[in-house]
Amino acid sequence: MEEDTKPLLVPVGGDESNYGIMNIQFNPEDFKCKRPFHVEPTNIVSVNDDMQRVTDEASAMNKRIHYYSRLTSPADRALIAPDHVLPAPDEIYVYSPLGTAFKVDSCTDGYGKNSSIVTIFMIWNTMMGTSILSIPWGIKQAGFTSGIILILVMGILTLYCCYRVVESRKMIPLVDTSNWEFPDVCKYYFGSFGQWSSLLFSMVSLVGAMVVYWVLMSNFLFNTGKFIYNFIHDINVTDIVPGTNGSNREQACSQCGREAIKYLGMPKFKTRRYENSKMVYISTRNFLVICPSATSGHTPQNRSVMFSSGNDTGFELFEEWWNKSQTVPFYLIAVLLPLLNLKSPSFFAKFNVLGTISVVYLVFLVTVKAAHLGIHLEYNWFAENDFFVPEFRILFPQLTGVLTLAFFIHNCVITLLQNNKNQENNVRDLSIAYFLVGLTYLYVGMIIFASFPSPPLSKECIEQNFLDNFPSDDIMSFVARIFLLFQMMTVYPLLGYLARVQLLRQFFGNAYPSIFHVLILNVAIVGAGVAMARFYPNIGGIIRYSGATCGLAFVFVYPSLIYMISLHRAGQLTWPALIIHIFIILLGLANLIAQFLL
Amino acid sequence: NPKGAVKDSVLLMGKSGSGKTSMRSIIFANYIARDTRRLGATIDVEHSHVRFLGNLVLNLWDCGGQDTFMENYFTSQRDNIFRNVEVLIYVFDVESRELEKDMHYYQSCLEAILQNSPDAKIFCLVHKMDLVQEDQRDLIFKEREEDLKRLSRPLECVCFRTSIWDETLYKAWSSIVYQLIPNVQQLEMNLRNFAQIIEADEVLLFERATFLVISHYQCKEQRDVHRFEKISNIIKQFKLSCSKLAASFQSMEVRNSNFAAFIDIFTSNTYVMVVMSDPSIPSAATLINIRNARKHFEKLERVDGPKHSLLMR
Repeated sequence: MEEDTKPLLVPVGGDESNYGIMNIQFNPEDFKCKRPFHVEPTNIVSVNDDMQRVTDEASAMNKRIHYYSRLTSPADRALIAPDHVLPAPDEIYVYSPLGTAFKVDSCTDGYGKNSSIVTIFMIWNTMMGTSILSIPWGIKQAGFTSGIILILVMGILTLYCCYRVVESRKMIPLVDTSNWEFPDVCKYYFGSFGQWSSLLFSMVSLVGAMVVYWVLMSNFLFNTGKFIYNFIHDINVTDIVPGTNGSNREQACSQCGREAIKYLGMPKFKTRRYENSKMVYISTRNFLVICPSATSGHTPQNRSVMFSSGNDTGFELFEEWWNKSQTVPFYLIAVLLPLLNLKSPSFFAKFNVLGTISVVYLVFLVTVKAAHLGIHLEYNWFAENDFFVPEFRILFPQLTGVLTLAFFIHNCVITLLQNNKNQENNVRDLSIAYFLVGLTYLYVGMIIFASFPSPPLSKECIEQNFLDNFPSDDIMSFVARIFLLFQMMTVYPLLGYLARVQLLRQFFGNAYPSIFHVLILNVAIVGAGVAMARFYPNIGGIIRYSGATCGLAFVFVYPSLIYMISLHRAGQLTWPALIIHIFIILLGLANLIAQFLL
Repeated sequence: NPKGAVKDSVLLMGKSGSGKTSMRSIIFANYIARDTRRLGATIDVEHSHVRFLGNLVLNLWDCGGQDTFMENYFTSQRDNIFRNVEVLIYVFDVESRELEKDMHYYQSCLEAILQNSPDAKIFCLVHKMDLVQEDQRDLIFKEREEDLKRLSRPLECVCFRTSIWDETLYKAWSSIVYQLIPNVQQLEMNLRNFAQIIEADEVLLFERATFLVISHYQCKEQRDVHRFEKISNIIKQFKLSCSKLAASFQSMEVRNSNFAAFIDIFTSNTYVMVVMSDPSIPSAATLINIRNARKHFEKLERVDGPKHSLLMR
């Protein structure tokens, strides 16, 4: 407060020097003088002054509040006037005893002071997560046309359910719900089952996000370290790709046996080299796009072959100690586990802007790469093709699973919208934010998919993290990985804090019962992340499973169910509403089941 | 009353969390030493020495709490609690979700009253009305009032709707106190005579502990209808400040060029406030008048019997 030089109070009305009575000092900058007092000017100045500036009710309320505040200690929350009995902030004046009035200029607690643009930006920023990296893969799994249609449809569906979440508080009669978040609404309607289940699903989304973060951080740290090492030691590195049975890649290099390389562009020079008595083609860093993995289920095995005049042993030592799934996930523990144990990670909230920069940079990167690569699209409606995927594929639920998490904000949208200055624009601002998010996802997904160089490579090669499709020596993706690595390192403690607060408060009533409780929880979460990075680093899979699970509760079932129950209680439930919302619930269930079947 | 005998009591009952402790604190200017959102129920028999309207004692009881210990204690102490009750004030939380249960507990209290103190007066307060939307308040209160009157038969109950955030609480308690005074008409007549003799603008009679207005006389229309509650709150706040210095409030004179107001102890159970708008009358004159009137009003009280209280059975 001391830095704020603008006075909080703005003088309104007459000048104090008009009154010939002894002046009582009232300094508008004296923030400590917070006790409201009120004196009727008529009784002090003159009997004939009929100007009544304060209603009788307001002065009675003032007296009441003053008196009640004397009945409890200042730390006690009892007998604090609730918001609905106080006049609106812009109706409150502070009077000096001589009749001039000061109006409180702005609310200091930040309630309702964000303009629409800021609110829209905050929602966009919160929703934009790492699922953007999996959208091209999702489009590939669903087929190009059906992918676009699904993004639009899921965007609209989740927007409607988000609208239902926002409106759910207003349908509750007789209770002051101004502090409630959506889990509180669930508790109101479903009792302790609602409370526990919303906690469970909230934890699924948080822990799922944290596991994805760990996998991605391992990936980015690995690639960054590799890039730096190679740059320092001036190594020409190529990426060798293992082929798969029955894929077209072997045909391009039928003499290679089990090892084949995919490349685009003319290599600077080509040599053959014998390694393990198999012939491999090797080229120098001319790859624009690579296809590093086998079909899903195999861990990607990037082995690098070194060309350097020196010895190879240093490099092999490095490879042994710096491995994407074996060692790097463990190195992260040293950095992140201490951060998770911090009591209040609000320091990290300051780095929120890194997320925006990362997304903007990704969009920029995608545009530049597309300009280099050009567009490679071919429309085959249902037929499989060597290089292309059909427009409509049976695997489309995998995209809907990813999109459920990509458009997920339902557990905190109420809090985000609460600070909107004009509350009546909430729905409009929310829709605009969803539209912008959908646009961003569509742009990145479509451009990556369309510009993926298909004649030499198959669209099947699009990775679950599209940055993996760029070789580790590509400068632009290196920068992107660095940004994302730092951003994730700052968001990870915040997610851990949210998970810890929700879980421990529910079980122990206290967000920080003891260092042991917190440590055990953090070790469990970190352990899950490390295990996933080690054995199942497919972020597309993790995203779609956790997205469909927590989406089932917060996106599909609870908002619709609560809406139907509140309508039923008010006696306004109609057949169309019932059918539509039951259909939405069934869609959510189908979404979840399909993740496991397909 | 001889020591050890059960004093006549005013029961303040209602479900846990319905607002009784806040209400008592506000009306009687008791400091709430702890968070009213407490986990346990109130066991508040011997601790309450709030004297009220003579020698009445205010007792708070939580009724129908979830605690089985509370339930058993309540049941076993029932006859003690409901004996010698002058007034039962039952508080209903308007936003309660368990109306059936509330009514059930209310009726069992009424049964106990019927057995032990059948002459007690019953008042029902529908509390926390500020949580109801303004346009629905009358409707909801009317519904509740009908239900309560019906359920209370053969006893008669008077219903009020209250909230601590507007004037309704003060008005309800003032009405309750007003109805507890048997000779109130006579009191008002005497007060009018007194006011006219001393040429006062307004004379108020307050109950001593709570500063609830028992009766008043005004010779011309006053603009502020909330003035009674405001005066009461101001004085109670001042009393709290005095008590922090281990002093007790006795009397006050407020004067400026336009008026003079005198607040003083009147009888053993009342305070008087006299407002004179003629500032030329010296204070001493009004104070003598008040002193003489005091003797007269004390006699009025004593006329009603050997109980030395304003309240007659």
